[in-house]
Amino acid sequence: MRLIVNGAEHDLTPPSHETLLTTLRERLDLTGTKLVCGRGECGACTVLLDGVSVYSCLTLTAACDDRQVTTIEGVGRDGDLHPVQAAFIEHDALQCGFCTPGQILAAIALLADNPNPSEDDVRHGMSGNLCRCGTYPKIVRAVLAAAERIPPNG
Amino acid sequence: MARRFVTTKVEIEGREETKVVELPARNPTPWGDDAELSIVGQRVARMDALEKVTGDARYTADIKLAGMLHVALLRAPVARGRVTSLNPSLALALPGVRGVLTVDDVPDIKLDGVKLFDQSIHYVNQPLAAICADTIELAERALDAIMMTVEVEPHVVTAEEALTADAPRVKPSGNTPRSSPRIMSRGDVDAGLRDADVAITREYRTPTALHTALEPHGAVAEWSGAQLTIWESTQGIFNTRRDIAKAFGLPLSSVRVIKNYMGGGFGAKNGASHATYIAAALAKKLGRPVRCILDREGEQTDAGNRSATTQRVTIGAKRDGTLTAITLDATISLGIGGWLAGPARIYHELYRCANVRSSETFVYMNTGAMASFRAPGSVEGAFGLECAMDALARELDLDPLELRRRNSARHDQEKNRPYSDKHLDECYRLGAERFGWALARDSVPDYTSRIRRGVGMASLTWGAGGGPPAYATVRINRDGTIEVLTGAQDLGTGARTVLAQIAAEVLGAKIANVRTVLGDTERLPFASNSWGSITTASVGPAVRVAAEEARDSLFEAAAGMMHTEPDDLESRDGEIHAKSSDACMLIGDVCEKLGDVMIIGQGSRGPNPDKTAISAFGAQFAEVEVDTETGRVRVLRIVSAHDSGRVINPTLAESQLEGGIIQGLGYALFEERVLDEKQGVPLNPTMHDYKIPTIGDVPLIDAFFVGAADTVANHTGAKGLAEPPIIGTAPAVANAVANALGVDVAEIPLTPWRVLALGARS
Repeated sequence: MRLIVNGAEHDLTPPSHETLLTTLRERLDLTGTKLVCGRGECGACTVLLDGVSVYSCLTLTAACDDRQVTTIEGVGRDGDLHPVQAAFIEHDALQCGFCTPGQILAAIALLADNPNPSEDDVRHGMSGNLCRCGTYPKIVRAVLAAAERIPPNG
Repeated sequence: MARRFVTTKVEIEGREETKVVELPARNPTPWGDDAELSIVGQRVARMDALEKVTGDARYTADIKLAGMLHVALLRAPVARGRVTSLNPSLALALPGVRGVLTVDDVPDIKLDGVKLFDQSIHYVNQPLAAICADTIELAERALDAIMMTVEVEPHVVTAEEALTADAPRVKPSGNTPRSSPRIMSRGDVDAGLRDADVAITREYRTPTALHTALEPHGAVAEWSGAQLTIWESTQGIFNTRRDIAKAFGLPLSSVRVIKNYMGGGFGAKNGASHATYIAAALAKKLGRPVRCILDREGEQTDAGNRSATTQRVTIGAKRDGTLTAITLDATISLGIGGWLAGPARIYHELYRCANVRSSETFVYMNTGAMASFRAPGSVEGAFGLECAMDALARELDLDPLELRRRNSARHDQEKNRPYSDKHLDECYRLGAERFGWALARDSVPDYTSRIRRGVGMASLTWGAGGGPPAYATVRINRDGTIEVLTGAQDLGTGARTVLAQIAAEVLGAKIANVRTVLGDTERLPFASNSWGSITTASVGPAVRVAAEEARDSLFEAAAGMMHTEPDDLESRDGEIHAKSSDACMLIGDVCEKLGDVMIIGQGSRGPNPDKTAISAFGAQFAEVEVDTETGRVRVLRIVSAHDSGRVINPTLAESQLEGGIIQGLGYALFEERVLDEKQGVPLNPTMHDYKIPTIGDVPLIDAFFVGAADTVANHTGAKGLAEPPIIGTAPAVANAVANALGVDVAEIPLTPWRVLALGARS
């Protein structure tokens, strides 16, 4: 099968039960995507599949043939950060950072779907991503700030 | 210069230890409120944020070494019993399976009083053996091929039952770690109660709470010759090194422990864990690097918890609210082990009262061991004490805030010593003002509507002075960049940033040119565990001393180049200026001229002031809405005022406050380990069933600092602040619910069914 991750094509033959999370972390060494609960309860493994946020721990790699996966490694790098990443830094919307990649991808998906979210929209849209350090107030602020910065249709 | 050493007392998480410490080479003038500081106190962005938002931050579970193997743990299916046979031969024959680790491989390792892989079973999910394979999936699958038989014995998983005469014996020595309760007492509580005009007695219950750090306990181990390297998600690299060196009979210099990033600790990661020992032992046995990371169920059931408590409280007071006596009779559920973090201490500290007596009975039972969890003991104790204070206020028909104000403690009454500084009254005043307490209290709750609103508050205190030993090195490179080296840990608290700010301040350097390097026992000087809110107050002063030493050398070198004397120089924003002339040089240019002559400063943390209590204080206010038909509690807002001395970085400090408050909300409303008492099996070992707060649960939070630099505590003026915000949150919420419903609240978490059972005044 062919998996396109952050624009790069990979020819893979994963066992049929392998999750996208395992493929990303163990096969492709993209360790920015985190394993926390392994059963779709916390959102730490969130990635984008054809632009839509999914829990990679509940997604089978075999079901992603020819599809586009975006992980945190493909979002933005130093000097070219995505507005959501920049807003997370600016608003200190992270502490230990373990949930941060998932939070950022969930926020990107949310803003793609709803470019002008209300505070309630953000709370609702981000409610599938847990953070134990309690950065939530700052995540709300960061996502709202990023919404202002992302140009329309951007 | 010869070093000088003194014996001093150091307080960590409520425990006071006597230690020999070194006197620092210099003792800088404390930074008072009038100190002109340009970087300390600024909202500098978190210095490792870029790594965290790009996914570059490499946590323990992300470490991958050539040839690395993976581990799955066979865990006990019953709460008590005995393994009568354990045969891994079928599992070992499976493809990709490389080895097994049993008690025979590690006969002498003990954690929480239980031998690793003990074939006597003491609690559900106790590790019994480990399987090592090429992938985690193969290892997990191989578990099913281990043939094991178990003989079940009667267990006990509640403190009440464990204390009965015919309860099964959890430990050979009995079901309590002490032969009698731990008593703390001052004055005469019987006399105090006789003097009281009013006395109330209540019983409170708090749940077993789980840390639920997103990154579980885990380690990667690799041997190279006789050298062992461990990557570990730990709050204490040096503690972990000590534990591992001891277990494997190695000199400390043969063990290197590295912790760069970690996904939360909250108290549960203070030394070598099961995962550490297992990874190191398997790596040794199989001659390959090994990664052992707990799975979520393992993390939720066998990696520490906050003890459940029952607290029977009596408070006596004069009609005007003056406290005359406080008594506490508490039972604390330790599980199979842990340390004695009781709720009593805050009862002895928070309020002025001549007669206080507490009795704490710690109980062993057949469940996972407790571990420190953010303000251990005080979180539990504050719930009982602060709810009881509100019950007393109702009895006296006094404003609960006024009752607390009237009983403000002027000194540490237990040890009869003054506080280094205390601004609790300001926390009350400013917190109440920002909350609108007077107005909210004056409005009579509407006891007729379905949705009831209420307000509540609580105060808090926490020993937050930090202390020695802690060491730091400051190095200036030839391009003028600066490295702060210290063996502390940043759990996500912001220690990296805060320590860099202190060095930048002293050196007059640009903060962008300063980098803090933490978390490596081989390369860095000692700093203690990052626990007890101590890192800033412990390591900060050592960094300041190191930076001053480096600055003096830098000025010596620059003075020659600038044709003046060192004490004519000052530095700011990366430039060194002469006070007597226009001469000016960039720090980088001075260093470039020095070439590879490196400027190095060493610093250490001096002892705390004698006979002085160093504490943080705070007052927390909550407004809630309770649905009397569904029992659902919504917290609408929290105002939280804190005195933690000087705040080095307000943004990061506020993040800590918010995080503590949100964990406190979870404790108040949702969090509770549930056991099947018949089987002793944890019923909610997942993140779906053990509820931590989500983004949707978070109210408006206004958390801020009052007070001043604490120049008696240490020469940076900073005290600890990470634990205080969790302490008063649950009682403030519970008091608000009590206010909304017009009934007493005696137990958390305030789940809907529990709220419905409270009833409501109508």
